[in-house]
Amino acid sequence: MSSELTVSQADLDKLNDKDRAELRQFFANEEQRTKIQSQTHALTEVCWKKCVTSNIKSGALDKNEQSCLANCVDRFMDVNIATMRALAALGGRHV
Amino acid sequence: MDSEGVKQAIIRQTREANAQSNARLLIEGINNTCFDKCVPKPGSSLSSSENSCALQCMEKYLAAWNEVNRTYIRRIQHEVGNQQN
Repeated sequence: MSSELTVSQADLDKLNDKDRAELRQFFANEEQRTKIQSQTHALTEVCWKKCVTSNIKSGALDKNEQSCLANCVDRFMDVNIATMRALAALGGRHV
Repeated sequence: MDSEGVKQAIIRQTREANAQSNARLLIEGINNTCFDKCVPKPGSSLSSSENSCALQCMEKYLAAWNEVNRTYIRRIQHEVGNQQN
């Protein structure tokens, strides 16, 4: 970690309204970024298994692997969205 | 520290913490994936072919991560665009 001093409660009290608002925006952006990153980690694991099936002979992705990975992400999202829609429809009937 | 200094310190520390946890997840993914791929039957030492496989696997995994990230972001933007229409 950084060698900088950590921020104390007394420091937080020094924040003016403008900086508080900016920090709220910053946290919202960072949260979105980390969500995307964490989904990317999960998807990479899932799609690697489907797309990188042969022995590794190079550090680069070949054309097939690359298009397979892109298709894998898009189809995963298709299924995700279809599931959400179906669940929403079910919920509408049963709840 | 004034307000600006406190804000900058919080931003810097948050970025550092997030970058660190992203790197940790990436390393975990590489280790699990590439160990599985390159060392199917662990011997008494790591052979040179297992070692070079692991290095190429790491590079490939990073390339795969970037490809997945690019595609995923493109898709999210597409879905958000659809919602707004």
